[in-house]
Amino acid sequence: MTEKQRVKIEKMSSPVLKMGNVEIVLGKVEDAWDEPMGPTPKPRLADLRDWDMKLLNRYEPFYSPICDMCCMCSYGKCDLTKQRRGACGLDMRTQQARTIAMESVIGAACHGAHARHVIEHQIQRLGRDYEIDMGLNIATEAPVTRAIVGIKPKTLGDLEEAMEYAEGEIQNVLSSIHTGQEGDYKDYESKALHIGMIDNLVKEIADIAQIVGYDFPRGDPDAPLVEMGPGTVDHKKPVVLMIGHNVAAGAEVLTYAEAYDKLDTIEIAGICCTAHDLTRKNPKAKVIGPMSEQARYIRSGIADVIVLDEQCIRTDILEEAKKVGSVVITTSDKLAAGLPDMTSRPADEIVDKLVSGEIPGALILKPEKVGEVAVKTAEMIAPLREGRKAIPSKRELVKEAKKCTACEACMRHCPVNLHISDALSAAKKGKLKALEDLRERCIGCKRCEAACPKEIPIVSLMEKASEKMLKEKKCKLRSGRGPILDTEIRNVGPPIVFGEIPGVVAFAGCSNYANGAKEVPEIAEEFLKRRYIVVASGCAAMALAMYTDEEGKTLYEKYPGNFDAGNLANVGSCVANAHILGAAIKIPHIFARRNLRANFEEIADYILNRVGAVGVVWGTYSQKALSITTGLNRWGIPVIWGPSGVKYRRLYLGRRDQPEKWEVYDAKTGNKVPAGPLPEHLTYVAESKEEVIVSIARLVMRPNDTTKGRQIKLSHYIDLHRRYYGGMPKDLPLFIRTEGDIPITEKETVKNILKEAGWKETPIPDPTLLERMIMKRV
Amino acid sequence: MRPDVAARIILKAEKPLLVVGAEIADHGGAPLRTAVRLAQELEMPIIATAHSCKFLEKEGFTNYVEMGLVELTNAASDPEWQGVEGYGKPDLIIVFGAHLDLMNALFQTLKSFSDIPTLSISRYFMINADFSLPNLDEDLWLQSLEDLCREVEKGRAKAPL
Ligand code: SF4
Ligand code: SF4
Ligand code: SF4
Repeated sequence: MTEKQRVKIEKMSSPVLKMGNVEIVLGKVEDAWDEPMGPTPKPRLADLRDWDMKLLNRYEPFYSPICDMCCMCSYGKCDLTKQRRGACGLDMRTQQARTIAMESVIGAACHGAHARHVIEHQIQRLGRDYEIDMGLNIATEAPVTRAIVGIKPKTLGDLEEAMEYAEGEIQNVLSSIHTGQEGDYKDYESKALHIGMIDNLVKEIADIAQIVGYDFPRGDPDAPLVEMGPGTVDHKKPVVLMIGHNVAAGAEVLTYAEAYDKLDTIEIAGICCTAHDLTRKNPKAKVIGPMSEQARYIRSGIADVIVLDEQCIRTDILEEAKKVGSVVITTSDKLAAGLPDMTSRPADEIVDKLVSGEIPGALILKPEKVGEVAVKTAEMIAPLREGRKAIPSKRELVKEAKKCTACEACMRHCPVNLHISDALSAAKKGKLKALEDLRERCIGCKRCEAACPKEIPIVSLMEKASEKMLKEKKCKLRSGRGPILDTEIRNVGPPIVFGEIPGVVAFAGCSNYANGAKEVPEIAEEFLKRRYIVVASGCAAMALAMYTDEEGKTLYEKYPGNFDAGNLANVGSCVANAHILGAAIKIPHIFARRNLRANFEEIADYILNRVGAVGVVWGTYSQKALSITTGLNRWGIPVIWGPSGVKYRRLYLGRRDQPEKWEVYDAKTGNKVPAGPLPEHLTYVAESKEEVIVSIARLVMRPNDTTKGRQIKLSHYIDLHRRYYGGMPKDLPLFIRTEGDIPITEKETVKNILKEAGWKETPIPDPTLLERMIMKRV
Repeated sequence: MRPDVAARIILKAEKPLLVVGAEIADHGGAPLRTAVRLAQELEMPIIATAHSCKFLEKEGFTNYVEMGLVELTNAASDPEWQGVEGYGKPDLIIVFGAHLDLMNALFQTLKSFSDIPTLSISRYFMINADFSLPNLDEDLWLQSLEDLCREVEKGRAKAPL
């Protein structure tokens, strides 16, 4: 690898020069990494465009425009319907693709800025030369970085090189959104795919820096089970609540509390990914839940101090906090919330101003200072705030419910179509069960309140109705383990590639669920019981902990945390989901001995054709969830979204009625052979939990499956289809290459189906889309 | 639009196609029975999205094609699409019983990229459909579905063989 050589001169004295404490960078030298540099180190847009076009020709982008117009520049706004073009010449398809590229770049920039902040903070704490040591069982420390950038980062400083490359790509793609740049929709999609890949890279960088900087678990399958749920917090103690995705400030709150021995006297809790990362630093931190909890938890008044960092934070937090007298501390220049910058003021002065109410909150950009101010303020303000909440009494609830005229405005604005007026009608008579049930499916967005002409505080009413349930709501979440071990990949690589472990199902994304979070654990358990490998990150990993079985156990208590069949591995926060991709990348490297270094195409081609992994984002909403998905797609990993995903306005869908699109090269002969529609889609939207389940079973099939592997995958597909769709799947002939693929127990039935369909046997290829991977031509 | 007008649009189509989603079995099963009645009367297949095929089977209806709602939308927005196997390309797509976001996406997509007219008979007005029932409360909607079926059946009975 090429890297900078540093020389540190502590003291030097000569007749002409005197100097001390100087670090000199001597340039770049070759190191001992024996893997040759691959074809695409630090790839620019055009370098992987051919690969993108291979994907885009097979998975033609599907567009569902949210809006008929483009209003991106003052030439417009332009009506793009009915084949019209905008004043700049842009057509509807290209405008949709441009929006996708733009939203993906927002997602990648978010993770990128987060990564940049983490690196700078850790370098400041520990120095540029601080070693990246991922533990004994992780030699491939940064698979995504190695495959894209072509470097093997050894120190925190090395991560900067990868970061600089990523930032350049983010800028380049962002510039392509300007009016009068790209005019081809597939080229915009190629840019979106590129920036999705960059998103993967910066997430990996961010999490590696966090892991080494804060000593998070390094791929520990037995990472501790931590407490989760609104009921886990002791209301009698001062409470500091952290919200967001960048744990830098939160980590310092923990560090301060640890240093002054306060972990047992104050509560430190989090919402969203910061909560995941707090528990990775100290398992005594508590997780309240995903984003959907933000507004309602603050209204409950439990939090004395609310520390905001960045991303997916409601922008009305300050307003909500004021209602209950909680103090807000913002910690990022990306989210200052209009608060005065107190960074340079002494901690005690800030505490005084916050406690006295002179200021409702403060912007503090030094994480260490946040730690001290948050803890001290919480301790001082807690006794003054006792009993403050914005939740009505039962009498007030009934009074509010009586105002409802059943106009249904709330329901029409509710993103999950909850029938609120029915529940309020029961509440009028003092019956609160329906309101409590509604909360289970509510995503806490408050759109109903904004829509209600009677100004009924619907969310607060649900909170009151659920008060008892919430007090008791405690569950166990396995803290984020970080990367998958090389040793685990060695064990499961062969059975995944041959299809004998039927698939890897990865849950990620936001909490905008169509029908409540309960469906996420239901889907996961279906596959855990069938011995698929299940992995999770972010809000989805929390959803998996939110429901318990009859014995009161969550999935994390029932299934071990290894990357193995029938196991459930929580990798951690959203940035940690880079390790899920990292596991897929390590399979060709560790098991199949493919070179990783700057070798994107070959690795992606391997994953697409051989690694039966599927992502599930059942509750989409953020631009980050889009860039995460688009990035996974470029590596050949399909992702299923919940219904809200269709509002991203673009999918990558295959067409089974176009058999010519499903040919692959047989690497052994060079012949083009049919490989079936596998995987059939790259980005898909499912309508119901049942459809997700059946789609997962279909999307894990890969052209490379052995007959034994295909048999196993098909037997699950048939069984799930029977259970959830009520009969044999009609499309089996598409997935059967030889009679050896037919599950033994279904032999006769399936043979009849094949006969009726006029099925013909096809060869099982050594599949690749890359001509250069062909070993010999016949 | 009133149900009798929707019925006239359906009767005018030579190859209508009905798309039903996973919520078809809600509301006490009345929408499901509407779907089956319409499909039988008009001798058209049903595109059964998500797990709706399960409910059709239970009703004893087998002339359905399993397809994801976005798969159908994608195919129908392709001018080269040959239509449903054994039936051909539809000249009207009728939709109900699916998730609102996905029905919305279907109408938006086909409005932008297809010439096939669309009709929503779901409970909520669909602004991007070419034709749509208005927002209705549940009882009125179920009544509208009943009226629609009756009008279609009446129209077919009158039509010359
Ligand atoms: S960017 Fe093009 S299509 Fe959009 S408003 Fe400007 S001129 Fe119109
Ligand atoms: S807060 Fe809950 S009930 Fe209200 S609109 Fe949002 S999801 Fe619907
Ligand atoms: S918007 Fe308000 S008044 Fe109308 S149904 Fe909903 S809660 Fe009742």
